[in-house]
Amino acid sequence: MSEYFTLKSLEGLLEEFLAGVVKVKQNRLSVLDGINRLDDISRMSSDGHNINEAIGEWFAEHNQWLDKSVLKDIEIGRIGNLLENISFGISKDKISTPEKRKLASEIDRWNNLAEKTPKKVILKRHGETVKNPALNTITMYDNHLEKALNLFKDKAGDKKHILSVLDDSLKSAFTQKNKDALLLSGYIIYYLKLDGYLVDPYVKRLKEAEQMLKGKKADV
Amino acid sequence: MFNQAEKAYCEALLALRNKDYRKASDCFDEAMPQYMNNKEFVLLMETNRLLLAVKDRLAKYENEEIEIMEAFAHGKETELL
Repeated sequence: MSEYFTLKSLEGLLEEFLAGVVKVKQNRLSVLDGINRLDDISRMSSDGHNINEAIGEWFAEHNQWLDKSVLKDIEIGRIGNLLENISFGISKDKISTPEKRKLASEIDRWNNLAEKTPKKVILKRHGETVKNPALNTITMYDNHLEKALNLFKDKAGDKKHILSVLDDSLKSAFTQKNKDALLLSGYIIYYLKLDGYLVDPYVKRLKEAEQMLKGKKADV
Repeated sequence: MFNQAEKAYCEALLALRNKDYRKASDCFDEAMPQYMNNKEFVLLMETNRLLLAVKDRLAKYENEEIEIMEAFAHGKETELL
């Protein structure tokens, strides 16, 4: 029976979660429901059905929306479009009756709301592209530094001296024609030179690796 | 006008409000092609689906319980064949 009680508990938890979501959305949901029903009425109108009673009920139920600012601009726009469609359907029948006149006046009232709402002008453009070449090279260099640092960390691994890292990096630059390894080797050599190391043999290997890389480019 | 998927999503939420989880499931299925990349939609749909699975499993337990109760009809134990 323990599975039964676990399932019961889970059932309660899931129901509670869904009820919570619905509660959070309650206000928007009632608006959405109202617009959805108006949409149904609009479709009925387009299909040639008499919608006078349905639209009358809809107005009676939702007139409070006109007084309270519960509607978003996009919703007001949607309602306006639907009412326009309904209005077109009603006016197709040329015979004027008090009921139709009342509905037309209600539709006008709602359309006034739509007109009072200032239209937002939204300017859209595609994602920003960098046209300044200087910025491009900065980004590229930044990316390169990150790659070089990762490469250094890989190669440093369990090595005990920076010269071992340099040796490994130069090998990669030469054998794999790896540009990042070549540049990393250059940094290390310059760093060691400033610290008084004799770096001539490494500089020679660096130049050989550079030639290899250039050769690869030439091959391409 | 709303398209069919928008209407279905709306109906699904209304069904959830009325705790009609089966109807909600049907509506979620109908709306899915348009909203399959909407995380909130997927979360609600999958939660509802899990809830229905849990309810189905619980229903089996409860049916078993009813069978056991029938074995003790009129307060007397009945032999089970």
